[in-house]
Amino acid sequence: MTTGLNILLVEDERKLAEAVAEGLQGEGYDVTLSPSGEDALSSTRRFHFDLILLDVMLPARSGLDVLGDMRRTGVNAPVLILTSRDSIEDRVLGLDAGADDYLVKPFAFAELLARVRALMRRNLPAAPSSLRIADLTLELDGRTATRGGRKLELTAREFDLLEYLLLNCGSVVSREMLAREVWKQVMRYTPLDNVIDVQITRLRRKLDGDFQKKLLHTVRGVGFVLREDEP
Amino acid sequence: MLRYNNVRHRLTLWYVGVFGLMLLLFICGATVLEYWQLTRQLYHAEIQDIETAEGLLAFAPDGHLVFHEEYHNHPQSLLLLDRYMEVLTPSGQVLLRNAKLQGQALGGPPFPDEGLASYHERRVRLRDGTRVLLISHIHSIEDRPLLIRLAYSSAPIEQGVLQFVVLLLLAVPPALLFAAVAGYRMARGALQPLQKMALRAETITASDLGQRLPVENPNDELGHMARVFNDLLQRLQNSFEILKRFTADASHELRTPLSSIRSVGEVALQRLHTTEEYRDTIGSMLEEVTRLTEMVDGLLSISRADAGQFVLHRTTFSALELAREVVTLLGLLAEEKGQQIQIKGDADLTVNADRFVLQRGVGNIVENAIKHGPGGSRILILVARTGNYVDISVEDRGETIPEPLREKIFERFFRIDASRSRDAGGSGLGLAIAKWAIEVNGGSVSLRPGQQGGNLFLVRIPAASESPLT
Repeated sequence: MTTGLNILLVEDERKLAEAVAEGLQGEGYDVTLSPSGEDALSSTRRFHFDLILLDVMLPARSGLDVLGDMRRTGVNAPVLILTSRDSIEDRVLGLDAGADDYLVKPFAFAELLARVRALMRRNLPAAPSSLRIADLTLELDGRTATRGGRKLELTAREFDLLEYLLLNCGSVVSREMLAREVWKQVMRYTPLDNVIDVQITRLRRKLDGDFQKKLLHTVRGVGFVLREDEP
Repeated sequence: MLRYNNVRHRLTLWYVGVFGLMLLLFICGATVLEYWQLTRQLYHAEIQDIETAEGLLAFAPDGHLVFHEEYHNHPQSLLLLDRYMEVLTPSGQVLLRNAKLQGQALGGPPFPDEGLASYHERRVRLRDGTRVLLISHIHSIEDRPLLIRLAYSSAPIEQGVLQFVVLLLLAVPPALLFAAVAGYRMARGALQPLQKMALRAETITASDLGQRLPVENPNDELGHMARVFNDLLQRLQNSFEILKRFTADASHELRTPLSSIRSVGEVALQRLHTTEEYRDTIGSMLEEVTRLTEMVDGLLSISRADAGQFVLHRTTFSALELAREVVTLLGLLAEEKGQQIQIKGDADLTVNADRFVLQRGVGNIVENAIKHGPGGSRILILVARTGNYVDISVEDRGETIPEPLREKIFERFFRIDASRSRDAGGSGLGLAIAKWAIEVNGGSVSLRPGQQGGNLFLVRIPAASESPLT
């Protein structure tokens, strides 16, 4: 499976870079690795990329500096910044320099994938009015969920949760992503992890309880995934 | 070479400088006064003398003015040898000049009304340069008005004053020397305790914060300073101990997940496993990584706030609404344990704070109450106003925490029962983060026993100015 999309990964930490590259290749992206800002600049001059993942703490030159140069030389691919600094001021600096999104290390790979997909999707048409997997259907306008022809009685939060899982159907979502996207919490907030676990348990009871085929799976240490086959 | 940057020397120098200046001012004043007094005396003598001289003037039969100078022979009048005298008509015609003048004019042509009303005093300079004090007076002899001028040299006065000044100035250097010695000894005496304190302070190091500065007189300024420094040392010692304990705890807490990751990985590599087993191993390692990440994130927020680098985004909002948000978010956990959360209070009570940070603080406290409250119990959240603060109290029915531990439970990694809490999945930072989140917003948090057993966490946040008093 290949998407035909090119990603430039600028990261000096070899181990992390190789792991991320392998993960992205597994998702069907073509990945070019670049260990320094200078190298990345020359790559962007020669090749076209659909997305650039840029580490801020690069040797010799700051990633933000490199980003400024890229934008000046006409590189308009979306840029996702990776950094270990997470204060709001740093985020603003990154976005000001021309970044499209921001991800704080250590990040969950699922989160990185979701961001990459979101940035690639940016120009695609709006979401459909209903979502479907196996015998599960979600009507977004009427906010109703049916499985095997039977209506599921979901609370508002459970519906939001299911909708988000279904939007990312087939990919793992982390608790952090759920906290931000479903619970709308901007800060990392430990007790919420317990809340999410409880909420998932309840949703699973309603969704899979009476069915042979389980759709909602827990990926230990990573998060949750909605898919037909066992992960 | 004197080192002027030494306080003792500087104090002495100032002391001597001020003393010298005062002495000079005194000498100037005394000199002026002395000179003025001597001048007055001379004028006074001249007035007496002019009256005597008038009695000795007469017109000779040939119409010449005659001065009966034989009077000079009188021994009492020897002083009068120094007398300058001139007699003129009011129109300025010179009738008589005494020998002492040696033909020089005394005061030049008369000016209008000179000496008419009374004795007129002025200073003039003779042609040969002699400065004199001059008295003029109009006196009639045989019905003819005559202008009589009489003067003495001011040189003796000036000489007298000069001697007076020299005498006074001679006394200045010994006086200054004396002042310097006395000032230096005084400054040294006063600063002695400071030197002792400095000597002691030099020996105090981070590992030896138990030492204190000597306090000689607790009531004077230096004693006060020593006490202030000793208080500072006490606070430093306390913080150092907390820091030491924290470092020990943190390394222990960070090591626990690290050693789990290591053992799980090493054991997994010992022999071949099924894919399912490998997945499980990796998942277990990732769980520990999440725990480590959470711990580092929590520590980072707290230390950033400690260093004053945390930027707050303040807004004004209802405290009751915040409590409701927290319960909406965490209510599910209480529901699972069959607990009931009750919120009471005035929705109009507003606070000015960073909403997300405060929500996290109150959230951690509510989560703690849910975790430690028994299943099926009630948790009461009360919002009320106390003075300039809005209080959010969270009361649970858990086991009452004994007095000596009530402060400690807000410390990083503090656990009442180490094994129990770790099983409950806590990072040991929940309440420490709550305390940080509340204090960074200008509030405070304390723990007291609940009214019907259990614990009451009192979160106190400064009220927004528009918040109504209840």
